[in-house]
Amino acid sequence: MTQISASTLQETPLLLIVEDSNEDFEALQRFLGRSSVAIATYRCVNGEQALAFLYRTGSYIERQNSPRPRLIVLDLNLPGTDGREVLRRIKQDDNLKMIPVVVFTTSNNPKDIEVCYQYGVNSYIVKPINFAQLKRDIQMLVEYWFEVTTLPDLPD
Amino acid sequence: MTDETIDLTNCDREPIHIPSLIQPHGVLLVLKDPTLEILQVSRNTQEFLVRQPEELLGNPLSCLFNAMQMKLIHKCLAEDFESINPLNLSIKRLNKLIYFDGILHRLDPIIILELEPKQAKGQISFFNFYQEVRGTITRIQKAPTLLEMCQVVVTEVRRITGFERVMVYQFDREGAGSVIAEDTNQETPYLDLHYPPSDIPKQARQLYTLNWLRLIPDASYQPLTLIPANNPVTNQPLDLSLSVLRSVSPIHLEYLQNMGVTASMSISLMHEKKLWGLIACHHSSPKYVSYNIRTVCEFIGQVMSVELANKEAIQDIDYKNQLKSLQTQFVEELSQAEYFLDGMVQLKSQLLNLASATGAVICSGSQWIRVGKTPSQEEVHALLDWIKPHLYHNLFETRSLMKNYPAAESYKAIASGVLALEISKVHHNYILWFRPEIIQTVNWGGNPNKPVEVLSNGSLRLSPRKSFALWQQTVQGCALPWKPCEVEAITELRSLVVGVVLRQADKLASMNFELQRSNEELDSFAYVASHDLKEPLRGIHNYANFLMEDYADVLNDDGIAKLQTLVRLTQRMEDLINSLLHFSRLGRAELIRQPVNLNELVQQVINTLTIARPQSEVEFRIPQPLQIIQCDRAQINELFSNLISNAIKYNDKPQKWVEIGFIEGNGESKVASNSVTFYVRDNGIGILQEHLDKIFQIFRRLHGRDEFGGGTGVGLTIARKIAERHGGRIWVESTPTIGSTFYFTVSVEANR
Repeated sequence: MTQISASTLQETPLLLIVEDSNEDFEALQRFLGRSSVAIATYRCVNGEQALAFLYRTGSYIERQNSPRPRLIVLDLNLPGTDGREVLRRIKQDDNLKMIPVVVFTTSNNPKDIEVCYQYGVNSYIVKPINFAQLKRDIQMLVEYWFEVTTLPDLPD
Repeated sequence: MTDETIDLTNCDREPIHIPSLIQPHGVLLVLKDPTLEILQVSRNTQEFLVRQPEELLGNPLSCLFNAMQMKLIHKCLAEDFESINPLNLSIKRLNKLIYFDGILHRLDPIIILELEPKQAKGQISFFNFYQEVRGTITRIQKAPTLLEMCQVVVTEVRRITGFERVMVYQFDREGAGSVIAEDTNQETPYLDLHYPPSDIPKQARQLYTLNWLRLIPDASYQPLTLIPANNPVTNQPLDLSLSVLRSVSPIHLEYLQNMGVTASMSISLMHEKKLWGLIACHHSSPKYVSYNIRTVCEFIGQVMSVELANKEAIQDIDYKNQLKSLQTQFVEELSQAEYFLDGMVQLKSQLLNLASATGAVICSGSQWIRVGKTPSQEEVHALLDWIKPHLYHNLFETRSLMKNYPAAESYKAIASGVLALEISKVHHNYILWFRPEIIQTVNWGGNPNKPVEVLSNGSLRLSPRKSFALWQQTVQGCALPWKPCEVEAITELRSLVVGVVLRQADKLASMNFELQRSNEELDSFAYVASHDLKEPLRGIHNYANFLMEDYADVLNDDGIAKLQTLVRLTQRMEDLINSLLHFSRLGRAELIRQPVNLNELVQQVINTLTIARPQSEVEFRIPQPLQIIQCDRAQINELFSNLISNAIKYNDKPQKWVEIGFIEGNGESKVASNSVTFYVRDNGIGILQEHLDKIFQIFRRLHGRDEFGGGTGVGLTIARKIAERHGGRIWVESTPTIGSTFYFTVSVEANR
């Protein structure tokens, strides 16, 4: 699905998407696939799974099964352990907190926005309903984090 | 002349318990305890004991009495004096035995022995005593009312003692006395006459409570000194408080003489450890009453004292029962009411009946309810402030308010009597009852106001009253007194009402708690609901777009158009969800009040709106600069945005204008004087009269969805909410095709 660009010798960056809605995930995938940057994605459908992936526990105990993502796109309202808790755990962990987290959610509740930034979220995006705007937002997300910014080197 | 007011209360300072003088109808001996050495004697020993004082002083008492009598005295000292006095004592005089009533009492470290010679008759044995009082006691107990009991007592005491006049004299709460029963053979009745409190000085009242009976056989007596004058043990004047021979104050003797009384006897009547009254006996010539007869009278006085409580309980028994049932009914109905005040209002007439009042005021927090005839609200307000520090055990009571609170003079006709009850200081719950002035005539035994005599040399002399002739006074500014049973009923009412008030306060608190919780739940519900609604909505929206993108080649124009409609509908649905969420938050979000310069704010709104619609040419008019007000900047910004954007939108004129201004509060009849009215006026399409109210309803639209730029129909509902949250209101005046003016107010008071 993903290809390594011939011009760069870098590995294809991994994007971890934590999203329970199949429809929203499909939309994300659709627009990510159109970007000029080759990005590998991995999807977790809930908070527990995302934490297991990041901490390499349970079925992710094998290191090669759970490479470090360069960016995490996180939905807030997840079944079970919700996105706010996942964010808190990531940002309190000395190893994980370097990974940028973008919250991508339906909620425009000022409390959620405040809490996420308190926890140290790197960006907070409200999912738009407008199709064109959604397309544009995802394109900008990819361009910004994978082309404009310099991401840290993560110890494996 | 001194500034000091001179009246007979100056007598309060006379040390009447240590006069160092006795009346001459007996002998007083002061003995050392326990040797019974004679330390001090009255000057008249020769007359009664045939011994000069010098012969007695320093000698043991046994120099007077034989061994058997000494044994009697020792026995008496070892036991309770009261049950043994008087002692039968005798001494030999010229080979003749003289008999005495010996009255002993101990006054550490000395003993006082008083000897009164026995009269030949008047010897009363225990059996005689029993016969004498048995019938009297039965009659006292059987008397149906207090007054009838008093009548029995005066008749019996007069029969037993033979005084010319026997009266029951009752003190009121201020200490003034009145004659409530009388038995006499004299022409002038004293019944119903009043005497001022100064007639009996404070320390005399104190002695009345120590010593239940006093006798003055001859008011014209020459008082006798003691030898030596001071007690040799204490080196102080002898305390004669409990002495039966103690000499009385010369002022009192003068008082009796002015009254034409030569012999007097008084018996104390005690109720609840306080001096309730006196049985007063008068005789126009000298009259001695033996110790035994006095004991009978004292006993009658004690029985009557005990019976006072019973008679008081029987008194007004029907009225008390009526009060009790009123009270029960009152509390029952009150406890069913949702709130204390609502309940009280329902019970108007019962509230008055409960205290036989003609007016009442119920005060609960900042609310005041007046029932019946009461002073004005301002007057009651001031009165309550004055009463608060005067409350005693949550109660204040007066029958003559203006005496202590001169401001009450102007409304004495409706509120001379006041009874105030504090139910809860914290919740500021008070009830006040009022009674009207009743102009009364009081019969005084002589003018009570003129106790000071001006002597020929111009100096003032305190003297007891000279005239006891009927002196009538019209008393103003007084209501009927609050009966003890009424005050008691009100006091009981308090504890019952407190229960109701507290229960209601608890209920209110728990309701508030519930409300707060449900508000919080609603708040999170609105977000959750909007999230859960939006997610499938976004799915529909995206998938319609996916269809259009991915299957454009297999869809015809009609199919594409239908998908486009689907997309448009999802977008409107989202607008509606967002509006609803916004509106529901608006009511609960805290207002952040700050001074906001409306001139700048409106200019910003206009700029934002013109940037959003650069193509529409609108003239903005602001006739006078807007002021700075205290408000929530974001909300007022939204309010102006909604009104101004509506004014721009609903306009089909080629030359559009919008005017923004304000009117001073009182310029508009619909507005309270403490607010400012702002308006936004346009020359737009206007609104039909019948639609003026509908436009503020949520999702209520007057035009097609796509006419005039569309909208969710929630803008004006939000505008109304913002105005209301700022303590104001919003309304519109409009003429179709000419234009509309939207007005809104912001309360100045709510601003603070």
